[in-house]
Amino acid sequence: MTVAAGIGYALLALGPSLALFVTVISKKPFLILTVLSSTLLWLVSLIVLSGFWRPFLPLNSAASWPFAVLIITSVAFQEGLRLLFWKVYKRLEDMLDAFADRVSKPRLYPTDKMLIALAGGLGHGAAHAVFFCLSVLTPAFGPATFFADQCPKLPFFLVSSIIALAFATIHTFSMVIAFNGYSDGNKLDQLFVPVVHLVTGMVVRTCCWSYYCNF
Amino acid sequence: MKFYFLLVGLFLLSQCVREISGQAKSMESVPDLQNSMYRVVDGVPCVRLLNLSGEIGCANPGRDKVVAPVVRYQTGLDLARPSAILVSLDRMGELFDRHDVTVFFRISKDPGLSKNIGGILVESGTGIPNEFKGFSPDRKFPLAEFSPYQSTNYEWNPRGTGILWNTYTFPIFLLTNDSTPIMKKIAKENEKKTEGHTSNVAEFDLVMQTTKYGTHDSESCLKEGTCLPLGGYRLDMKYGSVWSSLPPIHISSSKQVKPTILTVASMDSGSLFRDKNLGSESPISGLIALLAAVDSLSRVDALGELSKQLVFAVFTGETWGYLGSRRFLLELDLQSEAVRGLDSKLIEMVIEIGSVGRAFNQGTETFFAHTTGVSSATNATLNALKRAEVSLGSQNISVSLASTSNPGIPPSSSMAFVKKNSSTSGFVLEDFDAAFSNKFYHSHLDDPSNINSSSIVAAASLVARTLYILVNENKNIRSSVLDSISINGSLVDEMLSCLLQCDPGLSCELVKKYITPSATCPVHYVGVVLGEPSSTPYIGYVNDVSRFIWNFLADKSSALEKNSRSTCSQDCSNKGEVCIKAETKGICVTSTTRYVPAYSTRLKYGSGVWTVLPPNSSDPMAKIDPVWTESNWDNIGLRVYEVQEASLDRLILLAGIAATVLAYIAIAIARAFITKALKRD
Repeated sequence: MTVAAGIGYALLALGPSLALFVTVISKKPFLILTVLSSTLLWLVSLIVLSGFWRPFLPLNSAASWPFAVLIITSVAFQEGLRLLFWKVYKRLEDMLDAFADRVSKPRLYPTDKMLIALAGGLGHGAAHAVFFCLSVLTPAFGPATFFADQCPKLPFFLVSSIIALAFATIHTFSMVIAFNGYSDGNKLDQLFVPVVHLVTGMVVRTCCWSYYCNF
Repeated sequence: MKFYFLLVGLFLLSQCVREISGQAKSMESVPDLQNSMYRVVDGVPCVRLLNLSGEIGCANPGRDKVVAPVVRYQTGLDLARPSAILVSLDRMGELFDRHDVTVFFRISKDPGLSKNIGGILVESGTGIPNEFKGFSPDRKFPLAEFSPYQSTNYEWNPRGTGILWNTYTFPIFLLTNDSTPIMKKIAKENEKKTEGHTSNVAEFDLVMQTTKYGTHDSESCLKEGTCLPLGGYRLDMKYGSVWSSLPPIHISSSKQVKPTILTVASMDSGSLFRDKNLGSESPISGLIALLAAVDSLSRVDALGELSKQLVFAVFTGETWGYLGSRRFLLELDLQSEAVRGLDSKLIEMVIEIGSVGRAFNQGTETFFAHTTGVSSATNATLNALKRAEVSLGSQNISVSLASTSNPGIPPSSSMAFVKKNSSTSGFVLEDFDAAFSNKFYHSHLDDPSNINSSSIVAAASLVARTLYILVNENKNIRSSVLDSISINGSLVDEMLSCLLQCDPGLSCELVKKYITPSATCPVHYVGVVLGEPSSTPYIGYVNDVSRFIWNFLADKSSALEKNSRSTCSQDCSNKGEVCIKAETKGICVTSTTRYVPAYSTRLKYGSGVWTVLPPNSSDPMAKIDPVWTESNWDNIGLRVYEVQEASLDRLILLAGIAATVLAYIAIAIARAFITKALKRD
């Protein structure tokens, strides 16, 4: 689909994240570091998951339940990792606050904490987009296009980019909600994020193909 | 607020479509995806050949690959843009004939079609429909310029269309049996997509170096090194005559040369498509008959005590201006190393085995002897042939003289012999009289279904017995010995399956006994001359079929000789011995079997470069020699994939940029809003 389309797909998937990075994150070096380490962490988590599941692949595509198991375990792992991420963040927050006290500077504001959470979420979203969309985007830079059997009207790469965009958005803001939930002890918020993650994962794989595709 | 953003994400997701993981074609990696997108299609190309005055064959028009949507050929087809035309076998003649697709005939009957041909794809069928009257891309009188008589408009090949000799400025590929249904499906999909935004295209990679470097004739391309001359190695073998019941006498081949009876056949065919070139009827049926005759004569005692010598020669390059036979005649004149032991003045007669695979006609195998002229030698040959026919009486084989209304001998290597020396006596044995019986002369359809092994066995029997009679000078022949000369039918069948099929092809037992073949599917295209031509070529440069024939002939000619049978890998120390089966388990045997390079008499190889010599006045055929060369190339390939309209690509780029810009604006607004809200608190 040529270079133009390839760039278009890449921008579609990661453009908004890039915009967020440029406007908000790039102003503060600490946030850049947070984004980078978050991206690294979530990429590693995805690699670990794929390593774990590799012996079981390819899954029998006729039945849905193997995919359900795949998604449930992956989501559970990632949510567990998110908790761990938060715990590490808490430690970091305490260290930063202690340092601020020593140099008589103000502690972290709530907006700062939200920004850190946003940066963490952005890293997560970027990791997802890179892993699931950009990695398969290379053939899109050539002259050919591709249509999957389940969705004969829209090019495969377009579908992949839109899904990556959606997930990037979800992950970015999930982190903010989750961190808020953990620090306030708000059970609703804490549950909301994993549920949304699981539901979107399942919806993407198992449901309603023909309804949306055959327009 | 946070819920809002999340809902945006969910909304996007629910509005969009499904994930593709786990679809019907299980793709496990990006290379799998790449292979699904870009499907490589098996196809046999037609390549660019050049001669002294120009080019023939096919090539991409420039340095780039040709990309064109696939369209099925129908009568009255009108193309809006350059397309790849998919045409079936039986319509191919119509497309090429009526629509004049050559570059020289632009003022054709259908200019709209010719202008917009991006490429042509020819279907292969699993069976040829009965109403298909035949297909021959060669001319109606192949190689008429080499004929020793004047009537060059006689139609030896009535089905000939001559499309083999046209110049095409676009690629033409022949699809295989497997890839034809794939292409048909793609063309059908394209028909359904007429209003859609995508189309299936074929990408042809047939970029020829001569096009890239702008060398459009043999002389310039040989100078630039963008092409190589057609040619190869052909073989001549002297049937040694030493074995007898007395203590063995070994006659060195440099001593007295006896009067020689030369029996020839050729081993190369032509086709529009370089690698699909079986030539079953023309000329491989003749080649197999010759090899079978050699095999049967190798079991006859006391051939060595006789006063005449049998020499068998198999030529290559005959399709391209009788390269093999002409070079052989030149080497004889030069008395070179390659033909040591032969004397052209002592060649009494030349017997050629032409197309002999279709002689079966209402219960009898009928052959025709096309004589080269009237002389006592020719008469003697014909008498021997008749006697051989009589001795084979019970087998329903008949041979008659060709009709006198024919202008002369049919296109064959003998034409080169006669043109060189008009007093050459002999005949060409064919299964036809006034016109070829081969409906697929020099086409990719001349496959084993076109011939009959019983016909080849009959021809071989005739030739073997005729040669025995001739070498005995038609006297003192015990009919018991004559009747014992018989052809090994299973050897003929085995050679048919080795030389004319892909399975087992050259990996058959018979071939593997002698050589290690480099490919399984036999191709009888002459190929190009690699490296320096010599009588002792580097074995890697000689093609499989030539090496097999060399080993076979050397083995058979040494059958009744005293052989040292010492192991060898390349050469033998004993004089008069050669190393056969060198690629498997080499042994030294007594034989005079040699390679003779076959290439145009107007070419000379020196310090790594080929040069074209001016025509020599002593060589009348040199003036009409076109000096064929074949262009070099990097890659040849054929792929199909689906493309979408360029406008859609731009739309997607725009969408991506818009998404980024909109997000930027939204975030900036949100940030301003939040900052204001925080200031208020």
